[in-house]
Amino acid sequence: MMILLSTVIAPSRVSASEDGELKIKETIFHHLGDGYGWEVPFSHHHRIPLPVIVRDNDGDWHCFSSSRVAHGEVYDGFYIAEGGGYNGKIVGRDADGVEYRPLDLSITKNVLALFISMAVVCACVFSVARWYRRNGYKAPRKCVGAIESLIAFVYEGVIKSTLKENARRFAPYLLTVFFFIFVMNLLGLIVIFPGGANLTGNIAVTMVLAVMTFLVTNIFGTKHYWKDVFWPDVPIWLKFPIPIMPIIEVFGMFTKPAALTVRLFANMMGGHMIVIVLTMLIFIFAPMGAAVTGATTVVSVIFSIFMLLIDVLVSFIQAYVFTMLSTIFISLAQENPHHDETQMIENKL
Amino acid sequence: MELFTPELGLIFWMFLSFAVLFIVLWKFAWPVIIKGIDGRADLIDKGVEYAQNAKEQLDHAREEADKYIADARRQQAEMLREADRMKTQIIEEARGAAQKEAQKVMDAAKVSIEQARKEAEQNFRNEVSSFALDIASKVVRNRLADDKAQTKLVNTLLDEIENKN
Repeated sequence: MMILLSTVIAPSRVSASEDGELKIKETIFHHLGDGYGWEVPFSHHHRIPLPVIVRDNDGDWHCFSSSRVAHGEVYDGFYIAEGGGYNGKIVGRDADGVEYRPLDLSITKNVLALFISMAVVCACVFSVARWYRRNGYKAPRKCVGAIESLIAFVYEGVIKSTLKENARRFAPYLLTVFFFIFVMNLLGLIVIFPGGANLTGNIAVTMVLAVMTFLVTNIFGTKHYWKDVFWPDVPIWLKFPIPIMPIIEVFGMFTKPAALTVRLFANMMGGHMIVIVLTMLIFIFAPMGAAVTGATTVVSVIFSIFMLLIDVLVSFIQAYVFTMLSTIFISLAQENPHHDETQMIENKL
Repeated sequence: MELFTPELGLIFWMFLSFAVLFIVLWKFAWPVIIKGIDGRADLIDKGVEYAQNAKEQLDHAREEADKYIADARRQQAEMLREADRMKTQIIEEARGAAQKEAQKVMDAAKVSIEQARKEAEQNFRNEVSSFALDIASKVVRNRLADDKAQTKLVNTLLDEIENKN
């Protein structure tokens, strides 16, 4: 860890002494954000090149390696913008010379991390599935047993206890969500390739997940659920002639996924940010002499490790919470006329 | 701020990967696993229930066996008593029958003895009367000769009768 940090100090010190805080802020957001290459340890110059796939304004697709534009070069009319509205993104120039953003489906760092997470989830889950195909009801041991107990924990503890007879119907979706988020979270905490991408701290990723839950909730919602939305059991003047309650209910339909999105995104991004800021402290204190830098380094490293350990816990908790809330939203839309139960769950929330 | 504006490319890939992952796992992995977990849970539940029942039955078996033994003892005692009662009854009956039979035999014997005695008496009387007639006739015949001789004759005749008997 120390060696790693000291090697990073060398190039950073130059930039830090040039325009101080601005660079630090950029570094933080660079680490939190996406990129067209994957950083490798001990070098700021080299990156693992990834394919860039863009469609220009004329509708032509361009595909090239990110190493061709990594250091400010222009390739095929595309380059990575420095500053401005499209900072750090691939941009092109149209016929009038105006900068524009092409349709960008590049395999960026985050997208590759997504694929890696997918592969890890598949490997984990299929190891358990293979065990059950081969061994029937026998309980798995060791690694497979650990994954299986995690599956059982989520399935028995969250899905089955909330959804009851509908558990089998929605369990595949909810378990996929849990493991996908959990693996993405954990991979994000590994500092070097194949981890380190701040995936679940990216609002696009969490938004897609939340939209999925929104779709599942509303597509499979029962008649009773829709009746509760548009004609809830409240005094008539609350829904007619001005539909106050229905408006609130419809609004609530959309705030639920929004809350899911922001909760996961903010938690994971916060964790990453704290660790980076703690590390950046070393470079902030660097100009103050060797003693101060040394002391800061020790303190920062200890705190970083502590925060990373907490983030491991948070990784699990956030995956669990996302799954649990999705389960509850789905179960609320699965309610058949049992009013007490609905009320109870809503009170719990 | 870049962090808060979702990137279209990432949304596209995220949606695609999630859809692919979900479909693959949904088709090939989760049903097997859930079936396994549920099945095993059921199996364990059933096993526990079975064991509980077995234990209960075992506990009951002791009691039941004791009950059966006691029952058997009671029945045995009853049967013995019954047998005893029947034995006495049979003996009683046999005794009664035997007495009756004996009575009958004795009655018949008495009757025949009486008859025999009567016949004998008759015979005896007939004989005595014939003897008496004989004696009387001989006494009458000798009277005329000698008193001594007559007495002697009578004694002789009496001796004869005595010897005959």
